[in-house]
Amino acid sequence: MTLFGFLRRLFGVRSEAEPMISCEEALAVVHEYLDGELDASQHERVRAHFDVCARCYPGLQAEEAFRAVVRRAEEGCTAPPELRERVLAALAAVGEY
Amino acid sequence: MRREPAAETARRGARASRGTSFEAEALPCLDAVYRFALRLTGSETEAEDLTQETFLKAHRSWGQYTSGTRVKSWLFTICRNTFLRDRARSRRHREIVAERSRGADSGDAVQPVWATGEMPPDAAFFTSLVDDSVLEEIARLDEDFRVPLLLSDVEGLTYAEIAEVTEVPVGTVKSRLFRARRRLQEALYAYAVESGFLRPGARASDGPKEAT
Repeated sequence: MTLFGFLRRLFGVRSEAEPMISCEEALAVVHEYLDGELDASQHERVRAHFDVCARCYPGLQAEEAFRAVVRRAEEGCTAPPELRERVLAALAAVGEY
Repeated sequence: MRREPAAETARRGARASRGTSFEAEALPCLDAVYRFALRLTGSETEAEDLTQETFLKAHRSWGQYTSGTRVKSWLFTICRNTFLRDRARSRRHREIVAERSRGADSGDAVQPVWATGEMPPDAAFFTSLVDDSVLEEIARLDEDFRVPLLLSDVEGLTYAEIAEVTEVPVGTVKSRLFRARRRLQEALYAYAVESGFLRPGARASDGPKEAT
């Protein structure tokens, strides 16, 4: 969250320019929002909601933590060092290395 | 000394450049391809064989790789196609996918479990999970759900890229991905409750379940 977003949540300030979307509207696209699949204007509207909504924010944090834990667990799984050697040897055997 | 013909020199140069480019662009994806192969096969030995075959095929077809598309996504496509062909189950697999798609992919928008009130939103709960228990629950997901989850949340592919790798429409990718996350969240929560780490309806910060 940006400092501006934090201050807006703290003081409950809303942008006058655009009407705030509801929690339901924001939650309906929370996956696309976190996956970076919304267009810039949609993304901004959802971000503006999450920046100031105390009700949605814990859930958003939980979702981010969930994704981080999946990534952490999976990224711990790497190819054995000998596989790299094996692949390089196989490529060498076909005459390119 | 016999001079090398110009055409041969050019061919050698092109091969060297092709090799350098392949090494620089494709080989850094070895871990990601191995991880993907491991989740497809469920076996370390098979995953190693599949990874090697994927890289050999990718190398042979390197001329067909279109610069601009993500090389990792292209390698995943080769890996999955090889896996399906090697198991000689391509046709049956596609039939199963089609059958599941009819049931599993038609439904309402799938929200995270915390958005439904079934489980409290609790970042500390997820952060406290042990990697092995997370991997175990991921392994339990159906392949149709596990693969989009890994390609999105671990490998960072877009919905369109996942659709290309898995040969299903973008809408189906979204549906499976959201369901995969929801199922995994529910499974992790149930696991924590069953193991006594969490009381039903409680947050991780509330402390462990009291002994009865």
